[in-house]
Amino acid sequence: MHAPAAFRQQLLAAIPRLRRYARSLLFDASAADDLVQTALERALTHWHQFDQRRDILVWLVSIAHNAHIDERRRNARMSLVEPDDGEVPPHAHLDRWGSDPGADVGLRIDLVAALQSLPPEQREVLMLVGVEQFSYAECAEALAIPLGTVMSRVSRGRVALRERLDGRMPASSSGAPTLRRVV
Amino acid sequence: MNIADPTLHAWFDGELPPAEAAAVETRLREDPELAAQVRLWRADRDALRAQCDAMLLEPVPARLAQAVWRTPSRWRVEQWAAGVALFVLGGATGAGLLASLEGPQRTLQAGSGEWLQRAAVAHAVYVPEKRHPVEVSAEQNQDGHLARWLTKRLDVPVKLFDLNPQGFDLVGGRLLPDERGPSAQLMYENAAGQRVTVYLRKPDTGPADAASAAFRYERQGELGLFYWVEGQGAAATGYALVGSLPREQLLALAEAIYQQGGAGPQAKPP
Repeated sequence: MHAPAAFRQQLLAAIPRLRRYARSLLFDASAADDLVQTALERALTHWHQFDQRRDILVWLVSIAHNAHIDERRRNARMSLVEPDDGEVPPHAHLDRWGSDPGADVGLRIDLVAALQSLPPEQREVLMLVGVEQFSYAECAEALAIPLGTVMSRVSRGRVALRERLDGRMPASSSGAPTLRRVV
Repeated sequence: MNIADPTLHAWFDGELPPAEAAAVETRLREDPELAAQVRLWRADRDALRAQCDAMLLEPVPARLAQAVWRTPSRWRVEQWAAGVALFVLGGATGAGLLASLEGPQRTLQAGSGEWLQRAAVAHAVYVPEKRHPVEVSAEQNQDGHLARWLTKRLDVPVKLFDLNPQGFDLVGGRLLPDERGPSAQLMYENAAGQRVTVYLRKPDTGPADAASAAFRYERQGELGLFYWVEGQGAAATGYALVGSLPREQLLALAEAIYQQGGAGPQAKPP
């Protein structure tokens, strides 16, 4: 049986937020939309597994998160490129991050660059808790990690983001490799 | 307590029960340095949210909307099927997404300006939200800071309209990014859970907007929009009222807002 129209409408309404989450993982807008498309297709195949009492975004994020991990593993096997987010040079996709003319442009660039320089697992929880306003429990559920791990990633990520914005730590000194290692 | 203490961050994210939260707040009052750090985190988070909210207003790519309407057994893209499905969607979300897929020229006629399109899309994005329909809720607004904040950011007078006589309560408001400057969205809800939004911004200058200075009405599927401009020159404010309501009900709300606006009777209700 195919997914009912009401479920498809829920998916449609969730797309803007799902795209935003995907872009925090990938930064490249077109790669992020590929991930969203994969997540939507998986959601449609497994629609009957969705519990309507729950928040569909949490469920979709967990699907997209797993699809992203699968993708990274596949890439790592195929090309031996460091399976991390160092592929995109800082600022390369700033234009994809929307524009708020009211915001200070300098702060905006710093913020995106600083966020990009965080380890992906810290960036992900900061986006889910700070921007999507997931509870810690929802975050733990979506990422399939213990609550304590969410707490430590949030605290470390937030402190690290501020340190980078304060210029106390150069963006390139993060855990993410800045050079591609092609063996 | 140091800045990396997970309890402090849990408090920041609203995760602590009241007694523990009170203990953290006491601690913050005693430690100005720590309190200053928390203020910086809040500024970082607000800046990130403002920036990320801009992404929500981007049009949904056609391929993603089509993916939603495909049948898993055969992953063929059938454009006409996706199109038909969008037309039968109905409701604010359907109309708004249709608008964002098809672009402004197809959905709103000339003269209304791009900001009206933004009002319709912002309505479609935030009205279905159960969790975070607004940035500042009516409950958080007891000291009136929502109106002050939006007035300051928009540089036009923003009032929180009383639509109680029409059966609508304020849910809250949010600041929205826009290509030509910030705009605001106020959301109201009635007992039946129906929501309408009021979109406010400085109007664009130009012939198109001069034409929209009168009280005007447009319909996009189930979505109705009343829009008008109040005041003149630097004090001019553009209003758009958006909702999936019958025209008469929407008009009553538009008139109530107009009467409370008070920037001067440039526009005349029909």
